[in-house]
Amino acid sequence: MNPILKIAVLPAMILALSSGAHAAGNHAGGHHGGNVIGEPGNAGNVSRTVEVTMHDNYYEPESIHVQPGETIRFKVKNEGALVHEFNIGTADMHEAHQEEMQMMVEHGVLKGDHIDHDMMNMDMGNGHSMKHDDPNSVLMEPGDSREIIWKFTKATDLEFACNVPGHYQAGMYGDIKIDSTVAAKDRVEGESDSESVQ
Amino acid sequence: MNKGFLIAILAGLMPLQVLAGEYDISVDRVQIDTGDFVKEGIGYNGASPGPVLRFKEGEKVTINVTNNLDEMTSIHWHGLILPFEQDGVPGISFPGIKPGETFTYKFPIVQNGTYWFHSHSGFQEPNGAYGAIVIEPEGREPFRYDREYVVQLTDKHPHSGDRIMRNLKMSADYYNRQQQTVGDFFSESAEKGFMATLMDRMMWGDMRMMKADIEDVQGFTGLMNGKGPEQNWTGLFKPGERVRLRFINSSAMTYFDIRIPGLEMTVVQADGNNVQPVNVDEFRIGVAETYDVIVHIKDEEAYTIFAESMGRSGYARGTLAPEEGMTAEVPELREAPLLTMADMAGHMDHGDMKHDDMNGDNMAGMDHSDMGGNDEMDHSAMGHGSMDHGDDASLPEDPFYAKGSGLVPTASNGGKFLSYSDLKAQKPLYEDREPTREIELRLTGNMERYEWSINGIKYEDADPIVLQYGERVRFKFVNETMMTHPMHLHGMWSILEVGEGKWNPLKHVISVAPATTVYMETEVDAPGEWAFHCHLSYHAASGMFRKIVVEGGPDSTVAEGKQSGKQGGES
Repeated sequence: MNPILKIAVLPAMILALSSGAHAAGNHAGGHHGGNVIGEPGNAGNVSRTVEVTMHDNYYEPESIHVQPGETIRFKVKNEGALVHEFNIGTADMHEAHQEEMQMMVEHGVLKGDHIDHDMMNMDMGNGHSMKHDDPNSVLMEPGDSREIIWKFTKATDLEFACNVPGHYQAGMYGDIKIDSTVAAKDRVEGESDSESVQ
Repeated sequence: MNKGFLIAILAGLMPLQVLAGEYDISVDRVQIDTGDFVKEGIGYNGASPGPVLRFKEGEKVTINVTNNLDEMTSIHWHGLILPFEQDGVPGISFPGIKPGETFTYKFPIVQNGTYWFHSHSGFQEPNGAYGAIVIEPEGREPFRYDREYVVQLTDKHPHSGDRIMRNLKMSADYYNRQQQTVGDFFSESAEKGFMATLMDRMMWGDMRMMKADIEDVQGFTGLMNGKGPEQNWTGLFKPGERVRLRFINSSAMTYFDIRIPGLEMTVVQADGNNVQPVNVDEFRIGVAETYDVIVHIKDEEAYTIFAESMGRSGYARGTLAPEEGMTAEVPELREAPLLTMADMAGHMDHGDMKHDDMNGDNMAGMDHSDMGGNDEMDHSAMGHGSMDHGDDASLPEDPFYAKGSGLVPTASNGGKFLSYSDLKAQKPLYEDREPTREIELRLTGNMERYEWSINGIKYEDADPIVLQYGERVRFKFVNETMMTHPMHLHGMWSILEVGEGKWNPLKHVISVAPATTVYMETEVDAPGEWAFHCHLSYHAASGMFRKIVVEGGPDSTVAEGKQSGKQGGES
């Protein structure tokens, strides 16, 4: 009785997840010219590397300055004991994604300190799976290191965020400030991008 | 080796950086104005609630408490880990503080988070002797927020604690205003049939309990930071800010269901310990518990903080607003829940009534002792599941309530209501290990005589519970009464069994609902003598209380060093 119930429930979830991926794909693909968050970058265009460390539940640094058009390599390491996400998006995008992540928790794909990969990669037919593979985000278990190369386009209200339920609300987010003057100033002063926030 | 050397140097330097704060607290007669009535009570530094004490983790505090009353007093630092002589329980930790005397507490602050302090003498705490403690961590908080408020709740009654105790002893339902009436009887008969209703009433009568007996003491005014609903405590914010609210339930007797209509709350701490954050619409705070939540307020509007008593007989209310004077709608009290047969199952198990009155044969089989040694929190295995209660199928299940319980809370907006099962430690303090032994504590009582006890024995007749330093004890609470009991162990953490192994959360109060069995484990790491009791003031005072004696201790040389203050290279 239980397995049948699960199978009945899963497709609904996959639809929700894939629609999320589709939306992100649109932003990332940049086919519509009006993409707000930027797009996946080429390794050859990387101007600098920003290292981001995940803790339970916050990032170091908590603020990054970038210039419009700049391509950045994010080296992300999870030094916490819980699963965390690094996701580039607007606050609204994060909010929408949090509902999907909540579903992953409710369906047992996402546990506090690990991911059920078998369940996540299960082929449900129709080309759908529960893979968390949007190009603007990585979902990482404790100890994982991953990279994202991202090209920022124009100024907008961007944040990098962890959308594991509760983490964003507790404060696991960082500001991405796209501002040529600020970025230039940073470079001159050679200061760290991190800002201390309570 | 290098590392060891470095640590040695750091240890040598540390004492130079140790913070030492000195605080003065006076215990005074004060006036308490709830908006509904003005009452003489007891407060600290001239007010009730007393001050918010702000400590820093690692600080060594000296607190001079001057007793300006004409009776003995004491201050217990609720939830703080400290030497037992500093714990402030008269007759266990120290003799108490005489009128006119100043007692100096000295202890290191070894934790962080939201706690509180209160008198442990007589009914001074219900009479107003309480305040808040906020401890800033040594490192950074794993949160981001723009401002914070302590939100301390209490159930202020127009009667003094002594008078309430006398009245309860005289008639246990003295303060129960929601007794069912003859009118209720006939309307229920129309719905369920005359015989069924009559049978139901007769059974409840046999148990000397009322279906509506969720709160022993009604008729209070709920206070938020000392202000009644009309006085409307207000916390200001700027739109876009994240606000941390440190909820503390300092009530004598009242559990509150808390919500902020229009805002989702993220629970980040319970009883001073960080938990993996949980987004909720509403949560229940037991007597003496604390919960920290973060809310993100995006617009320029006022929001009501609504704390409704579990039995719906009263509420505390305050407001979060962008400017003074702005208010939001105050919700109506919801209908009072009624206890169900499930809530009395534990009570019935022990022969106070005839089982053959019941419509099923499974009641007699509800032997909680079958649960011994079972690590799972599977209450559905306890047999409640086979009780047919008819109309409760729609209620969400919560393993911390009897199945079919009338007490299972639901969020007013149909959303998420926090359960104990949602609480997981953010960062485990102890390694998970098997307990060395299990101690069963049956929570017992006789409602008619208003006697409350543990394993059927009142405090004055009971031997202390003896624990050995270094062991890990598993406590099994079996609630055989129809009241919810917030059990508070002093001096050591209560590790609540939620079935998550090392992620089980640390608490200082474990709430045990009627007819449920709840487990907690304790690492016995604090020598000395400690109190362990139900935190409902009138239950503790009438016998639901034990002394805990921890025998042995860390090796004697270390212990000596500690006592004479020579530890850790201090000079």
